[in-house]
Amino acid sequence: MSQLRREIVKILSRKLTYFGWAGLLVVPVLVSLAVRFSTHRSGPPGMEETGGGFNFDIASASGLYIAIGSIIALSLFLLPMLAAVSGSLTLAGEAEKGTLRTMLMQPVRRGSVLAAKWLAANLYVAVGLLILLASSLIAGGAFFGLKPIFLVNLDTLSTAGVGEGIGLILLAYLFAFVAMAAAVSLALLFSTLTDSGLTAMAGAMVLIIIMLVLGNISALGFLRPYFFTSHVLASFNFFRDPIAWEPIRDALLNFAVWIAGTTGVAWLIFRRKDIRS
Amino acid sequence: MTASIHNPAPRGQGLGDSDPVVLSTHGLTKDFKKLRAVDGLDLTVYRGDVFGFLGPNGAGKSTTIRLIFGLLYPTSGYVEVLGSQVPRDRQKALRHIGGFVDDPTFYGNMTARRNLRLIGSMNGEVSEERITEVLEMVDLAERGDSKVGGYSHGMRQRLGIALALLHRPELIILDEPTSGLDPQGMKDVRELIRALGRTGTTVFLSSHLLHEVELVCNRAAILRKGRMIAQGPVSQLRPASNAVKVLTDNQRVAQEVLRRLAPDGKVTQDQGYLVLEAAEDLVPEMVRRLVSQQIGVRAVIPAHEEGLEEMFLELTAREDAQGEGQPS
Repeated sequence: MSQLRREIVKILSRKLTYFGWAGLLVVPVLVSLAVRFSTHRSGPPGMEETGGGFNFDIASASGLYIAIGSIIALSLFLLPMLAAVSGSLTLAGEAEKGTLRTMLMQPVRRGSVLAAKWLAANLYVAVGLLILLASSLIAGGAFFGLKPIFLVNLDTLSTAGVGEGIGLILLAYLFAFVAMAAAVSLALLFSTLTDSGLTAMAGAMVLIIIMLVLGNISALGFLRPYFFTSHVLASFNFFRDPIAWEPIRDALLNFAVWIAGTTGVAWLIFRRKDIRS
Repeated sequence: MTASIHNPAPRGQGLGDSDPVVLSTHGLTKDFKKLRAVDGLDLTVYRGDVFGFLGPNGAGKSTTIRLIFGLLYPTSGYVEVLGSQVPRDRQKALRHIGGFVDDPTFYGNMTARRNLRLIGSMNGEVSEERITEVLEMVDLAERGDSKVGGYSHGMRQRLGIALALLHRPELIILDEPTSGLDPQGMKDVRELIRALGRTGTTVFLSSHLLHEVELVCNRAAILRKGRMIAQGPVSQLRPASNAVKVLTDNQRVAQEVLRRLAPDGKVTQDQGYLVLEAAEDLVPEMVRRLVSQQIGVRAVIPAHEEGLEEMFLELTAREDAQGEGQPS
């Protein structure tokens, strides 16, 4: 049994895993119901950025908008929270229960333990994103039908067919996965600093919230490009015609630096850490 | 609990310095900020030893075990397990060790069997038959499919022993294995440790229960405030006593017989017993002579037998006195 497989077995044995996934399953259904029974109807057809959010009123035009709206809306809070929970339970959660000690008394490399835990935490998020995608497409399709979507184009009215629209949505979800890998890595770093899963999770969440708040203060605008949270909504650029690759590239580069930096520091700490729990 | 152990590897008897060294520590030291938890420890455990690691709470026993398992990094010094140094070759060394430190911990939301499968697989393949076998050894076979979260402390201790035995390691390290067990459980675990010793498996038993070490160990080390104050065969650690108490159906005549037998020895009386201070090898001759004089021998027992407990208290008191005498 590989280390990764063992970590997956552990994740699947936790009730918390299924609560997180259930949340992602339910959100698109609730959003679809809310839009379906909402009396308000939006004016112009097409998508609008609403201060970092998503105008769900247009969702009635195509079920695909539920998938787009879900990923954009959840990328700022629920998904980072799930990523933080997943990352923080890796080491600190096990240290708290004492099972980290039991595990490290076996002939395994600490590096492979850390790598397997990082991969498993990201797999958890990936499965969550797949559930969100499937649920939103099914709910959106059931309530509003899967129809072409309007793309953001300042000059002309531009649309994407259902196939192209789903392709763009897949790219947006993949982008969100990379963004959440940065959150997982940050939580993993906190997980090496404490023997309490809750403390690690709170630490990661507080830092994410601080980045979100500071990123919205105009006087501190010079810091904004460095926070990975400032780039999470760059997935919206997939729905421009043509796709705005530059902000997407900048965002992916930022995520890569955060992932490599935090995971690297986590490794440096964990490889020589005294296991006292 | 079944005390039969299957261990095919040929082993020595662990009787002395001629046996290969399985575990040794070399100037092992561990500081936690200003606290020196382990101080220049030099331990030697030979193949086949059932080695007692004695010390009061807070002496540094668990810290030493954590250093052996590579959970802690030493401030200086190192551990050597069958030629592999810890922490440098930690992974290699751990292939030869099974055991636990403090309370054994498991995944509470999984069954005992699944825990053994999951954790055991980190040290190579584990067959279901072997899992069943070790669960039977610790009397948990019937509860093997129950979730560990519902286990009592004693059951977790026994599951910890099962995990330690799973891969038939050459060295088993048990930290207070009888803690939390009922008297029968304690007896079973001690019998299991003795049985392991008989098969040649080296056992490193950490305990603060002196009589436990006396009961099951052939060698021991005593730790006090992180420093080793004694190490050697238990029989040598325990101060020898030459006195025996004798109870017969005719104490007056028996006293004369004993005086004639050992003219240099002292014969006194203590609570109805005759106490003979003489060499231990005189005892068979003493019994023979008493019987030949038609004196019925009711009891012959060691007198003033000093156990490890007295010796431990004496050594630690001496250490304390030395500590107080030194300028702080």
